[in-house]
Amino acid sequence: MLTGINRIGDLEWEVPIGYVPGMRVPGRFFLSPLLAETLEEGAVRQLANVATLPGIVKNSLAMPDIHWGYGFPIGGVAAFDMTEGVISPGGVGFDINCGVRLITTPLTEADLAKKKRDLIERLFNAVPTGVGAKSTLRVSNKDLSAILADGAGWAVERGLGTGADLVRCEEEGAMPGADPDAVSAKARQRGIPQLGTLGAGNHFLELQVVKEVPDPEAARTFGVHEGQICFMVHCGSRGLGHQVATDYLRTIEGALARYGIHLPDRQLACAPIDSPEARAYFGAMASAANYAWANRQVIMHEVRKVFSQVFGIEYDEMRLIYDVAHNVAKFERHDIGGTATEVCVHRKGATRAFGPGAPGIPREYAAVGQPVIIPGSMGTSSYLLHGTTTAMEKTWGSTCHGAGRVLSRSKAKKEVRGRELREQLAGEGIVVRAHSDAALAEEAPEVYKPSGEVVRVVHEAGLSDIVARLGPLGVIKG
Amino acid sequence: MSFEELDHTADVLMRVRGASINEVFADAGRAMFQVMYGPCEDRGVERKVSLEAEDLESLLIDYLSELLFITEVEYAVFCTFEVEVRDTRLSATLRGEPFDPARHSAGTLVKGISYFGLEIVKEEEGYVVEIIFDI
Repeated sequence: MLTGINRIGDLEWEVPIGYVPGMRVPGRFFLSPLLAETLEEGAVRQLANVATLPGIVKNSLAMPDIHWGYGFPIGGVAAFDMTEGVISPGGVGFDINCGVRLITTPLTEADLAKKKRDLIERLFNAVPTGVGAKSTLRVSNKDLSAILADGAGWAVERGLGTGADLVRCEEEGAMPGADPDAVSAKARQRGIPQLGTLGAGNHFLELQVVKEVPDPEAARTFGVHEGQICFMVHCGSRGLGHQVATDYLRTIEGALARYGIHLPDRQLACAPIDSPEARAYFGAMASAANYAWANRQVIMHEVRKVFSQVFGIEYDEMRLIYDVAHNVAKFERHDIGGTATEVCVHRKGATRAFGPGAPGIPREYAAVGQPVIIPGSMGTSSYLLHGTTTAMEKTWGSTCHGAGRVLSRSKAKKEVRGRELREQLAGEGIVVRAHSDAALAEEAPEVYKPSGEVVRVVHEAGLSDIVARLGPLGVIKG
Repeated sequence: MSFEELDHTADVLMRVRGASINEVFADAGRAMFQVMYGPCEDRGVERKVSLEAEDLESLLIDYLSELLFITEVEYAVFCTFEVEVRDTRLSATLRGEPFDPARHSAGTLVKGISYFGLEIVKEEEGYVVEIIFDI
């Protein structure tokens, strides 16, 4: 473990004030000793740098998938006071509302027999993937404005989903405060041809089977049982969100001097919550988040259609369990000193994990807590969890978002042969489809921290409880 | 004229060297397109870009961000970059080919250009800059 950091619990660590000059609050993060071996000094420094931002409340936080990112560390969470605090695009990231949704089916592994390869091929053809992927939908500029305002609701209104899907999305698939006029013409141009595309990098579409159900009661509430076939969609706001981030990083950096904000790292550029720059960024960011929900909704619709064709099942038999956002800033009410207080929570590579009874989660899940979906990497398990009261108290109702890389892409390409990996996964019964074997190698399971260990830490630290473990059967790599 | 990929856990870190600022900008573009698309040939697609920024580093970020925008909305892949930088103004001519899914879709999507550590440094024989492409 790095020097200057204090262990304050079995799985909890503190970065004291003074680790970097100007810290206003301490840093806190959650790691097991095994994961601590992979901790990068740069990521801890970023966590400490976040603690220097004006109006930060309680702690600068990081989840066990912490790694070195842009501005905030990935896995970073911070809340800001509504009067003194700031909004920082670097606390959200380039892929606004990158997120995950999990859908159940009435199928079992036996139903897939001899159909799996055909299914994966059909899904690969139905959902545009990879660099340069183009949508099959025709979206006008007016449509795009509606998408930016209404998110997944826009798709459902056009028959690309059901009303029940919307209540099972974080923010019901559309964030309040979206301002489509704050989205630049460039961002719009990038967004129009990409709705319903998966993108590339670590984004994927995965066929899974529920392997274990450690919490049967919560699983019943979520509609999950052992042996069930599910699919998972992991992607974000595509070029539209990337352009919003690029645009506002520049705008807000240019405004720093005006607000007398001094930063240890220009990537933390931020503006007071109640400033024109922050208001415009928030309106554009919320619009991009809505685009991402619409994007995942359209992709899910295409996948449902393929399942219906291949297995003859009804559209309604494929039930969305939940859709969570990873990269987003939101206004939320949290308990501070016994008073429900509004703060601006940034989650950068972290998942909201609201506990039982918290406002903003679907009524049908209220007694259990919000579903949390943690994707694995190709070949490793994914997890369904639920949020907890402890998360509400310690992390602004937040938990980890994934495994976190441990191996660079260049090393992965040198050390992993894509073809061998594909054959190895095939030997384990996992069909993988990608545009190239090189792209596959970059996302090999061994380049990530073990997802099971990351999830074990959040479970044992009480930040979210494991409901079910899902094993991969087929993957479409973005 | 050269660029090389260095080790970075989450993103792509490129070191670009050039005898002149013009070369550094040209190769930074080449490096980014190499990451995104791999092979590319000049097949008659041409595009011109003009930009101005407050300093050289911001100009480089704006230039690469503009290339990202152009490639995504125009479905064009570029491999030749003629760049002329004067003070903090830039004019560039890009040449390449139409995006071809069969040859170009296996690369790595660049989401944005990171400010982290981005500093154009003058060396004895030219200039060097390290750029993190957020992917």
